[in-house]
Amino acid sequence: MGSPLKLQGVTRKFKDTVALDSLDLEVAEGELVALLGPSGCGKTTALRIIAGLDRANSGQVWVNGVQIDKLPAHKRNMGMVFQSYSLFPNLNAQENVAFGLKMRGTSKSQRENRAQELLALVGLPDHAKRFTHQLSGGQQQRVALARALAFEPDVLLLDEPLSALDAKVRANLRDEIRSLQVKTGTTTIFVTHDQEEAMSMADRVAVMNGGKIAQIDAPDVLYHSPADQFVAGFVGQMNRIPAQVVKDKVRVLDSLVGIRSIHEFQRTDLVALVRPEALKVAAKASGNCRVVARSFLGPMSKLLLQTAEGVEFQAVLTSEQSANLHSGDAVQVSVKPGDYLVVPS
Amino acid sequence: MRNLKLASLPMYLSLVVAAVYVLLPLLSAAEFSLRQPATHNYGLKHYIWFIELPDFAHYLILSLGLALGAAALVLVLLVPTAVWLNLGGHKLRGFIEFLTLLPLVIPVVALAIGAQTSLPEFAQTNEFVLSFIYAILALPYAYRTLDTGLKAVPLKTITEAARGLGAGWMRTILQVVTPVVRSTVLSALFMTLALSLGEFTLTSLLHWDTFTTWVTTMSQSNILGAIALSVFSLVAVFVLLMLIGLFVKPASNQVSMEEN
Repeated sequence: MGSPLKLQGVTRKFKDTVALDSLDLEVAEGELVALLGPSGCGKTTALRIIAGLDRANSGQVWVNGVQIDKLPAHKRNMGMVFQSYSLFPNLNAQENVAFGLKMRGTSKSQRENRAQELLALVGLPDHAKRFTHQLSGGQQQRVALARALAFEPDVLLLDEPLSALDAKVRANLRDEIRSLQVKTGTTTIFVTHDQEEAMSMADRVAVMNGGKIAQIDAPDVLYHSPADQFVAGFVGQMNRIPAQVVKDKVRVLDSLVGIRSIHEFQRTDLVALVRPEALKVAAKASGNCRVVARSFLGPMSKLLLQTAEGVEFQAVLTSEQSANLHSGDAVQVSVKPGDYLVVPS
Repeated sequence: MRNLKLASLPMYLSLVVAAVYVLLPLLSAAEFSLRQPATHNYGLKHYIWFIELPDFAHYLILSLGLALGAAALVLVLLVPTAVWLNLGGHKLRGFIEFLTLLPLVIPVVALAIGAQTSLPEFAQTNEFVLSFIYAILALPYAYRTLDTGLKAVPLKTITEAARGLGAGWMRTILQVVTPVVRSTVLSALFMTLALSLGEFTLTSLLHWDTFTTWVTTMSQSNILGAIALSVFSLVAVFVLLMLIGLFVKPASNQVSMEEN
């Protein structure tokens, strides 16, 4: 048996635009992979091609070692949850959940039991007889999730299932989806444009750009070692601070640090990509920067800083460390040792 | 509480005005049709008069048949078109919307002459040609009713969800799309039936006789009888539509999807 899901050279063109450009992706058993990227990067197209709701111009889709790209959607055994509420309004919650089983010819009593079991799993055991209009948005998405899981799909496909919900429901459901996915061990593809969502839920995050995967890695690898400028800018906060190359090192804010990767070495106008938490800030009258503003975020505080040349950037410190720093103060900012990406400014 | 009552006062007032406007002529007509000038009493004489007319049943059944024919045409032609347009045939939407408006723009006389000259001969000799014409006349109303109703349901997502869950196209349409759009479709058929049952101008211009034209002819010989007939046809159509309405349950669909 092959891997639960494999995409090979999947290309999809819409007239002149290339939505997917020879996409390769392999997902391991029980893994949750998030497809993350700006709108138009091809993430939803990829999901729809896996589901069979769209056809690729070329390339192959394999599930458990079987090539499925020629199969129609209803023969693929994929559970899908959509961005917009997709429950059947003429059926109640239990009938919705049982729908996939009904299509597979499961007996009435069996599918009723299974539906009840899944509604309990998503925390709605008492809502079996409710119709769509009697459920809140979050509850509808829970039922949709139960419906997608009821027939034990080969792969669970989630197409921005949280984006229509308000922030609080969203955060709760995010954790619930993840724990449910781990509990059932269902191989899952999760499409989102919200990096926080992707980073907090996924085993691996595939950052997509222009129909290709720019980088696919575990969230912490992605955060600490972005492959390129796009990934660095898309995942988390990233400062662009002017830098000069000195032999095999780079000078950033008076600190000499290592270079992880550098593009166009001969250029002189370079910037180093530095995370806000990779900066050290200390009060110093003759310091190299000035505090523009400080915002208190509970345990952490964010400082907006400015160099003598007027370049602004952010630093994140514990609130304790930054307690005596106020706007207008002169500070000495240095970069923590490590290897950094250096790119043209 | 007081404020609430005050706020709804204009609503009740307009309801009363509307009721008077609609019901008063109806009640007057009913009262008039029950008069029996010879005895100065009320009675069903004029109703009995038209029921006993030899053509009454014939024209009534004919009109009902024509209306049902028009409704069937709308069901077969317009419903799939509207569903398809809402599933993604967006390119043709503008054109079809324009097409459905034409019956309102083209003068009835032009439509009548057009129908007379362009229809094949066998169609011109059969009164069921009127079903086709009624269906055309009902287009603007039936299409808009369908379109508005279909837009209220996320048809595309629901269809895709059904297919993803293992339903083929046939089962998707029968078990998912049909129940979801049922009340919308019934409303469109409702419109078509009502319009067909009352159509007079084109029928008369094309020299066909249906219940409506027959009522007009009859009214010339017995004015009280004609009024009785009019009241009857109004009430009959009303009852018919009520009966159909019973099938259009205020089902769980068609409600706002946004309420959270």
